[in-house]
Amino acid sequence: MGLNRKTAVIGTAIAAPPPDDPRSLEELLYDVTQAALIDAGMSIEAIDGIVVGSNDQFDGRAISVMMASGSVGGVDRDILSTPSAGEHAFVMATLRIASGLYETHLVVSWSPTEASSMAETQRLGADPYFHRKLPLDELAGAALQANSIASATPGVHDLATRIAELNLNNGSHAYPAAAAQTAEAGALPWPLRDGMVSAPATGAVALVIASENYVAAKGLTNIAWVNGMGWATESGYLGDRDLNQAEALEAARDRAYADAGITNPLETLDVVELTDASPYQQLLVSEVLGLSARADWESDVATGIFTKHSALAVNPSGGVASFNPVFCTGLIRIAEAANQVRGTAGAHQVKGAKNALAHAASGFAMMYQSVLILGDQPKGAAA
Amino acid sequence: MTAPRVGIIGIGQSPFTRRRDDASYPDLVREAVIGAMRQADLDFDAIDGTVYSLSPDAMVGIGNAETLGVDAVGGRNKPFLRINTGGATGISSVAAAYYHVASGACDVVLTAGADKVGECGDSQTVLNKIWDPTYERQLPHGTITMLAMSGIRYQHKYGMTEEDMARVVVKNRKHAALNPNAHLRTEVTVDDVMASRMISWPIKLMDCCPQSSGGGAMVLASEKFIKQNKLDVVWITGVGHCTETYYQGDRMGTGQTADHADAYALGKACWRSYKMAGITDPQKQIDVAELYAPFSNTEFHSIEAAGLAHVGQSVPMVNEGRFSIGGEIPVNPSGGTLCTNAIAVTAMIRVAEVALQVWGKAGGHQVKGAKRGIATGNGGDHQFFGTVVVEA
Repeated sequence: MGLNRKTAVIGTAIAAPPPDDPRSLEELLYDVTQAALIDAGMSIEAIDGIVVGSNDQFDGRAISVMMASGSVGGVDRDILSTPSAGEHAFVMATLRIASGLYETHLVVSWSPTEASSMAETQRLGADPYFHRKLPLDELAGAALQANSIASATPGVHDLATRIAELNLNNGSHAYPAAAAQTAEAGALPWPLRDGMVSAPATGAVALVIASENYVAAKGLTNIAWVNGMGWATESGYLGDRDLNQAEALEAARDRAYADAGITNPLETLDVVELTDASPYQQLLVSEVLGLSARADWESDVATGIFTKHSALAVNPSGGVASFNPVFCTGLIRIAEAANQVRGTAGAHQVKGAKNALAHAASGFAMMYQSVLILGDQPKGAAA
Repeated sequence: MTAPRVGIIGIGQSPFTRRRDDASYPDLVREAVIGAMRQADLDFDAIDGTVYSLSPDAMVGIGNAETLGVDAVGGRNKPFLRINTGGATGISSVAAAYYHVASGACDVVLTAGADKVGECGDSQTVLNKIWDPTYERQLPHGTITMLAMSGIRYQHKYGMTEEDMARVVVKNRKHAALNPNAHLRTEVTVDDVMASRMISWPIKLMDCCPQSSGGGAMVLASEKFIKQNKLDVVWITGVGHCTETYYQGDRMGTGQTADHADAYALGKACWRSYKMAGITDPQKQIDVAELYAPFSNTEFHSIEAAGLAHVGQSVPMVNEGRFSIGGEIPVNPSGGTLCTNAIAVTAMIRVAEVALQVWGKAGGHQVKGAKRGIATGNGGDHQFFGTVVVEA
């Protein structure tokens, strides 16, 4: 089902603070919110509602939205929180605008690194009886998925290594400071290797979105239309899943492509920002999104389909491999894709980008899957 | 543009109690989902998506515990996301489900969750972690002490006594005795309440909600789907949210942004949903209310914020029976949060109970002739407020 009316991204801000940044989390959120509002050319007074995505365990607070509500302008306003995933805040805000009850929304997500052990906070997500004793953090989930993909695809380890190099090369332009830390990811579970994954970093992202009516009334032109949106979940138990598949991504893809009227993504899309917690996941996602069939992975990597200079630029930002604020990487993909369409991506701008796909994944082995199609023109359902 | 109408077609809730040793956390979710699906008379293929209702993860001791509920709600490979606004989570989840339908994204949406507060050890230890780790967490602060301060302020401004608070408990326990799903169903007297041990002045043990375990679920659907399938329905006609400041200190002293005696953001949220529902005089247009009040003193400012009494004037009205079953506008005929509090779904149950009332399906605690009601939810440190108007 398409949405009842169109929404557009009209402002974004991504914060990648250096490790010695003296700001508190509250200050960081205030700054990233204000930057997104300035980018949208509006003040907080024009915001009807707010949706944030944050994780209690990473923040070290129960109900972590509470602390943020002042920083993001939530006092006296309507604010919701989606702790399942940062990108779910974008989904929820888009649905609220499409309902006709809101004209504008602020979407914010963040991920600090103050927890003494990110791995331990993630292990709390395993059920307490059967799986918690396993060293099961998100990296371990990514490694299990990589093994599953590798067992079905001989030679994929070499491809993963080459894709990681491409991502880091892109990231050295987009997020040079963060990309330089990739080698410091620490001990990695097999088959992940140095350079394939990025150490968790502190980061925050804010987007301002508005209804088609607001866009028309204000005469806004530097925007990215949300032309398709799909989101779905896998089962919560890894043992119930075939990690060589991504059924929830298939469901999200089908919905987003149907919304946007996409039948041939390679023809339609100019840019893809996908969540590559590991390069193996990037390959699997590329297959499911119809960007690179598994049989063509080797030739596609060899011919450069995954570079930022190819006909379809993949992860010009360097992706998660270069900058990894764990809980908000999905929402950053959406902001990056919107920036590409708006021509505001800076050093990693893809020339002439008009249609972009943002893929956001969260949880163990990409449990939550979301696909957003963004374009410089309204297309598809409710266009 | 006008938002499309969204209907409630199914409700499920557990018989709430302190412990459920017979049921795991996902089992409790499933229990409520089965109840809602049975009433809606649908199978899971008809569900387009799920909004998962879960407040602090620490209450169930599992990080992102919604992941363990995916199969309990039949959510695999479908749209799914979780909402958390603390105690308001349940009503925020109903609102989120409403937006899923009103946006055109889904025809039928399930919202569900559960909590095991009675098995978490000590909910106040968990809830202390909601405060700023540097300034307020170490007081040590809890939600009881927080709302005790609100009670003291309300006493000072409006003359409420501890006996007045006790009469709220007496009323709600009497209501809960009629509700088979309520946790605390034993009737009490003012003397019983006054004799219960002091927890945080002026709040005594019986002025407090219990720590409950159980689940809640609701199925919402589009008007088109409801008409096509000729379903029995009540309608959500108003939805509102508003937020207060995080810091307790901002509600006190000369520089306060809000008076801790009152609930001004709850009032704003109520009036947002009233405006949407076309309600201009709630004292005349509301037949029944389920107002989130976990401590007896907070029911007074909740009644006033909902516009069912003028500010500072609800105390004598409660004492005169205006808000009792049989009175003009029964408040919390289910017994309310004061008698049942499984935090993740408590505010959802407020909506569910109002829906049952206007549907005429509330059973022993039915309010005669109820056609329109309001439900509220409070979360965070009296910070997030959600409201929903439901009509027959």
